This record gives sequence, C-alpha cells and structure tokens, in this order.
Amino acid sequence: MIVAGVDVGSTTTKAVILDGDTIRAAVIEESGPMPGETARRVFARALASAGLREADVPVVATTGYGRRLVDMGGLVMTEIKACAQGVLFRPAPDGPIRTIIDVGGQDTKVIALNDSGEIEDFSMNDKCAAGTGRFLEVLASKLGLSYKAFVEHALSCDTTIQMNSTCAVFAESEVVGLLARNVSKAEIAAAAHNAIAQRIASMVRRVGQRGGYCFVGGGALNRALVRSLQNTLGDPIYVPENAQLVVALGAAVGARRRLGEITGRGRCPADDAEIHR
Amino acid sequence: MSSQFDARYRVSPTRAETAALRRRAEIVVASQRESLERIPRRPSNIAVFERWVESPPDDPAHPLVGYFCNMIPTELISAMGARPVRLGCGNPALVAPGEEVLAGEICPLAKSSFAQFMDAGSVASRCRALVVAASCDAKRKLAEVLDDFVPTFVLNLPPEQDANRYSSMVAGELERMARFLSDRLGTALSRRALRRCIDEGQRRTGLVRELQSVRSKRPGVLSIRDLFLIVQSAWRGVDTSAWLDETRKVLEEVRSCDPMDLDLRPRLVLTGAPMIWPNFKVLALIEESGADVVADTLCSGAQGLFDAVVYEETSRSALLRALAARYIFASACPCFISQGTRISRVLDLVQESGADGVVNYGLRLCQLFDIETYRLQRVLRERRIPFMNLRTDYSLEDTEQLRVRFEAFLETLGERR
Repeated sequence: MIVAGVDVGSTTTKAVILDGDTIRAAVIEESGPMPGETARRVFARALASAGLREADVPVVATTGYGRRLVDMGGLVMTEIKACAQGVLFRPAPDGPIRTIIDVGGQDTKVIALNDSGEIEDFSMNDKCAAGTGRFLEVLASKLGLSYKAFVEHALSCDTTIQMNSTCAVFAESEVVGLLARNVSKAEIAAAAHNAIAQRIASMVRRVGQRGGYCFVGGGALNRALVRSLQNTLGDPIYVPENAQLVVALGAAVGARRRLGEITGRGRCPADDAEIHR
Repeated sequence: MSSQFDARYRVSPTRAETAALRRRAEIVVASQRESLERIPRRPSNIAVFERWVESPPDDPAHPLVGYFCNMIPTELISAMGARPVRLGCGNPALVAPGEEVLAGEICPLAKSSFAQFMDAGSVASRCRALVVAASCDAKRKLAEVLDDFVPTFVLNLPPEQDANRYSSMVAGELERMARFLSDRLGTALSRRALRRCIDEGQRRTGLVRELQSVRSKRPGVLSIRDLFLIVQSAWRGVDTSAWLDETRKVLEEVRSCDPMDLDLRPRLVLTGAPMIWPNFKVLALIEESGADVVADTLCSGAQGLFDAVVYEETSRSALLRALAARYIFASACPCFISQGTRISRVLDLVQESGADGVVNYGLRLCQLFDIETYRLQRVLRERRIPFMNLRTDYSLEDTEQLRVRFEAFLETLGERR
C-alpha cells in the first residue's frame, strides 16, 4: 500500500512517500512565492526518487498552511492532526509521547496527547512571529551571522542575560541595545534561544505540563534551541529522526488510513505501530 | 434634567475626512456581502434585512435614539416615540480612524463605534440622543466623549445581578433615562405605550425562538450568519411590525424546507463577545470549515432576542421592573462581579441542542470576556465538553491561523463522534 503526504509549510514544503512501514522517498524544498507549484514539484521529485509514477500512489494527503492550494485529489488535514500522527508513527525510545512541540517557520504548536495517543488539547502562537523559527532568523541577520553560525555561537555560551522580548520586531531593537553595551554575539545568541524556549514553555504549561516531550519541525534541527528548551522544561526532550518531515509523514499515515477505509480493509496492519508506543 | 457630564470642559467634536472613511467601510461591507452570497441556502427576502442592518429607514415622525449594548431596554425608547438604533459597530475599516483619536489599547468594538460619530452624516450622528449602558470601562468613558457629539445618557448598572439588593436602584436609573429622553424628544413615557411596546417585543422574541427551534434541529435550513443579520436588523431603527412581517416569511420558508437533507456537520454552541455586522469573520470561518452553530449566548446573536419581557402587573413601576429583570438581571454579560447566567446558559444549550462542543469568541482587548474564559474553560473541561477559544480582533490577517486551529478542533471532535 503506497501513499504520500505533502506538507506545504510557510517556509519549506516536504513530501514523504510511504510504502507499508518504509519511507520510500522524502524531499524538502523552500516553499517560495508559489507554494502550490512548489508542492507539485516536490511531490514529483519524491515520486522520481522512489521510482514511482503518480498512478502508483492512490491517496495523497496534503497539510500545512497551503493544504488547500494543491488539489491532489486526496485528503486534506490540519498540520496539528498530521503532526500527532507522524510522531506516533514510530514508538519513542523512552516511553510514550504526551507533549509534542512543533516549531515551524511561521507557527509554533504544542499538542497534548492523552493515554491513548489522541489529541486532547493544543495551543498555537498568535498571528505574530513570537516564538517561531522566524524570530531566530531575524536576530541572526541582525547580528550579521548566518543561521548556522548563530546556533554555534549560542551553543558555545551559557548566558545569564535575559531578553525580555520574544516579539521579532521589539527583539531587534533590544539586540541593538545589547550590542551598544558590548555584550558578545554569543551571549546574545544564547539569550535569544532562551527567550524563545521560555515562550514555548509557557505554551506547554497552557495545555497542562505532562512531560513525554517530543520536539519536531524545522526548529528541532536547531541544537541550541533543543538545549535551551530542555533546560527550561527540566526534562529530556526526544527529537526524532527526520524531525522536519514528521508532519508530511503524518499526512501520509492519514492517507493510508483513508485508503484502508476506502478499500474496506479496515485498519491497516502497519497502523499497529501506533499501539506499541 | 441636568447633564451627567461636566459642562465646563465640553470640547468640539473631532471629525474625519468622511468620503475616504465611508469608502473604506463600504468596501468591507461589500466583501462581507459577497461572502454571504456563497451560503448555499438563504431566505428569499434576506436582502430586506441586509438593507435594514446597514441603514435605518427614514421616518421623520420618529427620531432615532442611538444606544450601546443589549442591556438598554429598547421598549422604553420606542414607547417615547423614537426608533432605537443599536450603534455597536463591527466594521474593521473604522478601527484605525477611531484609534487615531482615542488610544490603541481599546477594544476594536469601542474604537470603530466611536469612529461612526466622526462622520457627521452617519446614522450615529443623525441620532437625536444616545443611551449607553456602563457595562465596561470603555463604554463608561466613551459616553463622556460622545456627549460632545450627541447628547448622551449613561445608564448605570448594578455591580451584581442581585435583584433583591439592586432593583430599586435600577428602577431609579430607568426613570432617569426616561426623563433624559423626555427632555430630548419632548415626549413623555406613558404606561400604555410602554405596555404596547413590551407586547410587540414579546412577538419579536417569540419569532426568534421559533426560528431557533427549527434551525437547532436542522441548521442547514438557515445559516447562522443570516440569523444574525435578521436579529441585528431588528435593532436598527426598523418598525417592529415590518420586521415581524418579514421574519414570519423567513420562518415559513425554513419550516417548509426540504426535509431530506441530512445534517451530519458538527454542532456547536457559540458563546463569548459580541459579533456585529459586518464582523462575521468567525461565523463565516465556522460555517466554511464545515460546522454549524446551533445555539448561541451572544448579546448580538439569537440570545439577544431570546428572552421575552414578562410582566404580571401593568403599573408603570411593575413594567419598569419587568424591563430590569429581562435586560439587566438576566443578562449574560461578563461585566457583573459574578456571572453564572452565561455558564448555566452554555451548559443548558449544549444539552438541549445536543451540541458536540463549545466555541468561545474572545475579542482582543475585552478584558471582561478574556478573564471569564478562565472559568468557562475549566467548567466545560470538568464536564468533558470539548471547548475551543478563538481569540481575535476585527482584522482579517489571522484568518488562516484561526482556520488551522478551528479545523484541528473539528478533527478532534470527529474522532469523538
């Protein structure tokens, strides 16, 4: 049973092709100004890399903010549901996941799961970029650093400096103030990561702090952010392999479930992976 | 009667460049109308209500009296020969002009409502008098500002909904309101006229109840947006008997609607801050995402015309007491120290309508509703009733984020159903 999930995010678009329990192909590309076209291209690249034709994939599920921009004739779901399904696809090594933190380019989401792995509650940032990947990108460029160097700087330093603002616009002027006081770039970078971690932690508390953390999305690739968040929450955080692809993977899982319903085969055996968590 | 406001510091009204203001406001109305046109099934006479909600019919015999908030007993205004016009404004285009004169950190409803008065030719400016319930800090102080534009009376409210303790205070306030209107309109409040207007009001609430009971069973027969239009047009200076005639036609139509369609969409109870035309963005979001609002507790929704004024005696004081009981002591507004009325109402509606969940509309910068969400959310959670808080303002740029949140909420409902 071959299915696909396409996650049209604000910053990157991802496609995953799932064959049974195996990821046959995974492609990531910048979403750019034409996210609909990008999504079709990313899907085509994934097909090519798996050596498949479109006709081999009976159901494609789309998710992400551009989920309605591409009509792939399949299933549309929110990234919140897709994210939960993607995380639950493989059992976590250290016990069940109860809290998913997804830091994307434009949104940060915290999803609380109950004992059966169902979504119990979720929280999402407001319309501004506070607490998102975009916030860190803005500050990196203000410091004249590449994003990679910005993360390295943060990792090299344990700072006590507090940044008060997680608003991307206000934080920029706060950085100007810190530079004027001769605070090092490393300290500012570390403080920025801590500020965003605080913001995420408050979203976690909003849905009820329940441990079992799993961190996904592009933000999870940032080791400095993982460290800050771990320190702030005071608990270990599991970052799955392919953290940036989890939502696209979850969409594919949704597509597989739908295909099971359509073909009347009920629950697909591979779905049992979710029970073994 | 002497004014409530200090006459020594009256200032001249601040006006805006009217043509540009009107054009921006009209663009918003036009785009909301387009969105309404996409509703699959609408009453054939809905255009009448769309017209009424925009501008009250001209009628030289009956001057307009503007009012803010559903706690003002409109029967009292009608009984004195005037047409009550609810002036709470939902037009996002008027937020910025209001903000330029007032301040930023005020709720968009207050800012846009104020901006209506900056246009000397608007419905608001045409009002002979204005009555404002002191139901929040913004309105309390806005009234003082607005008195420079249109002579204004502030109806003081009791801090608690305790009729035993406060009913004589409220009766005194209503008498004071009648004296203010009498000075402005040159008419007197007669017991007979008041009773006639209350009776007419009962026919209005009766009709809204009947509409609600049909659509609660099969929400597909009438969009919540059209119901809100119908209800809100009743407050826009329309002759009540004309409104009753048109609304009866709607009722006949929805009753004879094709009974074959299945309503499989999630059923929701809507509560929270007022949504006033053309600020129907959250209503549109709910319906376009595939869910239905089957009941509401909004002072600007069906709830706003749900409870009848009930009197047993017909003396003037008994009629005023009946108005107070309906408009103030039964209000679901969060401005009172303790607000069990709204929570009880939400719980009852969930049960009566068989709703799958509750959506709370939080209007950014309305502290009263924001803080009350604390208790509402916990009470519903304890009873395992799914709850979603959609907090936003009049602007449209967060629509997609709201949509993700709301659709994810529907997905979790889908898994429970």
